[in-house]
Amino acid sequence: MGVAYKAVQWNRQKFVYDIILLSTVVFYLFCFEGISLQFSSDLDLKGIWIRAFGSAAFILLHVILSIGPLSRLSAKFLPLLYNRRHMGVTMFILALLHARDALAWYHDFGNLEPIVSLFVSNTHYADFVRFPFEALGGVALVILFLMAATSHDFWLTNLTAPVWKALHMGVYLAYGLLVGHVVLGALETNTHPFLTLAVGVGFVWIVGIHLMTSLREAQKDGAPLFGKPAKAQVDADGFVHVGSVQDIPENRAKIAVIAGERVAIFKYDGQISAISNVCQHQNGPLGEGKVVDGCITCPWHGYQYLPDSGISPPPFTEKIPTFNVKLQGDQILVSAKPNLPGTPVVPAVIGQV
Amino acid sequence: MSSLDPQDEFFIGYLGVPPRLKRFLLGFIPILVLSVLAFAFILPPLHFDHFNLGKRTKVPEFEGLLVGEPSPHLLVPRTGEVGTASDFSLYLLSGTGKTSPKPKVLEHVNQWVKLKGTPFHRNHLTVIATKSAEPMEPPTPESAQPAESSSLGEFSLTGEIVDGKCYPGVMKPGRTKTHRSCAIRCLSGGVPPVFVVHNQVGDKLYFLLSDLDGKAVNDKVLDLVADPVQITGEVIQYADAFVLKADPATYKLL
Ligand code: HEM
Ligand code: HEM
Ligand code: FES
Repeated sequence: MGVAYKAVQWNRQKFVYDIILLSTVVFYLFCFEGISLQFSSDLDLKGIWIRAFGSAAFILLHVILSIGPLSRLSAKFLPLLYNRRHMGVTMFILALLHARDALAWYHDFGNLEPIVSLFVSNTHYADFVRFPFEALGGVALVILFLMAATSHDFWLTNLTAPVWKALHMGVYLAYGLLVGHVVLGALETNTHPFLTLAVGVGFVWIVGIHLMTSLREAQKDGAPLFGKPAKAQVDADGFVHVGSVQDIPENRAKIAVIAGERVAIFKYDGQISAISNVCQHQNGPLGEGKVVDGCITCPWHGYQYLPDSGISPPPFTEKIPTFNVKLQGDQILVSAKPNLPGTPVVPAVIGQV
Repeated sequence: MSSLDPQDEFFIGYLGVPPRLKRFLLGFIPILVLSVLAFAFILPPLHFDHFNLGKRTKVPEFEGLLVGEPSPHLLVPRTGEVGTASDFSLYLLSGTGKTSPKPKVLEHVNQWVKLKGTPFHRNHLTVIATKSAEPMEPPTPESAQPAESSSLGEFSLTGEIVDGKCYPGVMKPGRTKTHRSCAIRCLSGGVPPVFVVHNQVGDKLYFLLSDLDGKAVNDKVLDLVADPVQITGEVIQYADAFVLKADPATYKLL
């Protein structure tokens, strides 16, 4: 595709994105410190920074976790997704600074190694209210580290997208652990109702938009929430009806689920082509993309594929599976069996029988 | 064939932001940024004990009688008119880390010393992070006596066991759940434990803890710090402080 290795390079969008991200974070940290000092000039600053880093990381994690579902609900949020990995890495660095300071401040200068002290000082692992909340933060930090360490596209290519994606879903485990870390730690000490309310609202929001998004996706796929999806009618030649030409706007696609897999069916230049919905880059939904300059363009980071072969235009070499298509009147039929990635397919020409 | 929709905007990161999308982002991103920043203003004042009165003070040197039990402390004669109050102020002693004073300091127990360190105090509780101590002559022969102590009777008190170093000001907050591990580290290192009790009118009372033999209880209370605890025992007025004498096995977690 046109930008395979441009994608990891700098461009104006990423530059603006990072400036906003980093200045917000730095501003947050110094405001947190400044506001604290307004109340008392005799504060232990280390303690302030532990809380500033921790809260900044936790808030940023909520933003990160919201971007995915929000941009599925509306394409308007896609620019936030574009450079989300920098947000993830920024969040990890904040969490690391928080953990480093907490470890030094609460566990150093004693009669044990700080890292040992972290896990053995409070031993009430079987007790809910007295649970050593620090351990939850520690495990979450390890997960975030693995994600940040494998974040480069190099790993994405070498681990393969599904493995990498599975690793990435660890962020939800990390989020759960961190909610525990905050509820059983900071919220037990700081009992102001607003804090409890804020953490609760954050949790309900994150779970809520994820549920809402998956409900909507299931609806769009025509799959019932429970039980097996209805089997598509496959004709004698192994083709499936996916709807009418009129359903699809020009240069856009319709996503259909065929044999359990999402297929993107594009209409462009009076033709119809079908390719896998899954972008080679980071599994972006190609069917929500657009044909630009004759190439199917991914809505997430702009990887491109030729509609009639699923191959990125030279000099790039990404390949995704294609599907044979034919028309009966204005009805589109797509083969239930994908072709090997990069197999050329003759597009169905609209109006021709 | 449907006609091209010029309004069909599509964002491609490396190509720039189309106009309608740009308008949306110019509204949305400032709102997002401001909502995040709002927390920097809202959160600090809501933190518990973040702004307590614990303070580091600048006095670098003290003269007094070094006492080892129940926990290391220094008895410093009060100057000026003391009236009916005690002739001595009691200052707890810790080391510079999460430790008791160094052996080189403690070898002067029961002697008068010039003691160097950093004092921290909260209300009338003071701890000195001790750096060093040099023996000295007692100021007068009669002041060589340790402070008198008198029993005030048996009481049942509810409060929290804290470490006598962080609570007076080294950390904020120096108590409750977030501080539990640190307090455990401190007590196991030899920092004197202190029992903090709030009375009915909201004053804070501080008690040194002693077992029935007058010894320190540090290693026996590690499991009880940072939680509400009830202790029943004899309260002893000692210098300007109180000692609560009870068998640590009878401390009750509430
Ligand atoms: C080894 C890892 C970690 C340790 C030892 C640790 C330790 C602590 C401690 C001791 C506190 C209480 C601080 C205080 O109130 O004085 C705390 C609070 C907190 N931690 Fe962590 N933490 C770790 C990892 C994390 C991670 C990965 C996050 C990610 C977001 C996080 C988020 C928070 C938050 C939001 C708070 C509440 C801050 C506040 O009071 O405003 N922690 N943590
Ligand atoms: C640093 C390199 C990173 C890269 C390249 C990266 C890339 C991606 C990609 C491609 C996705 C989409 C996967 C999918 O939804 O199918 C994703 C999702 C996600 N990433 Fe990252 N990420 C990185 C780091 C992080 C970190 C450190 C965090 C931790 C806070 C994080 C949090 C998330 C979350 C929460 C999702 C949500 C999944 C969804 O929206 O469905 N990412 N990331
Ligand atoms: S371009 Fe990144 S997922 Fe498609």
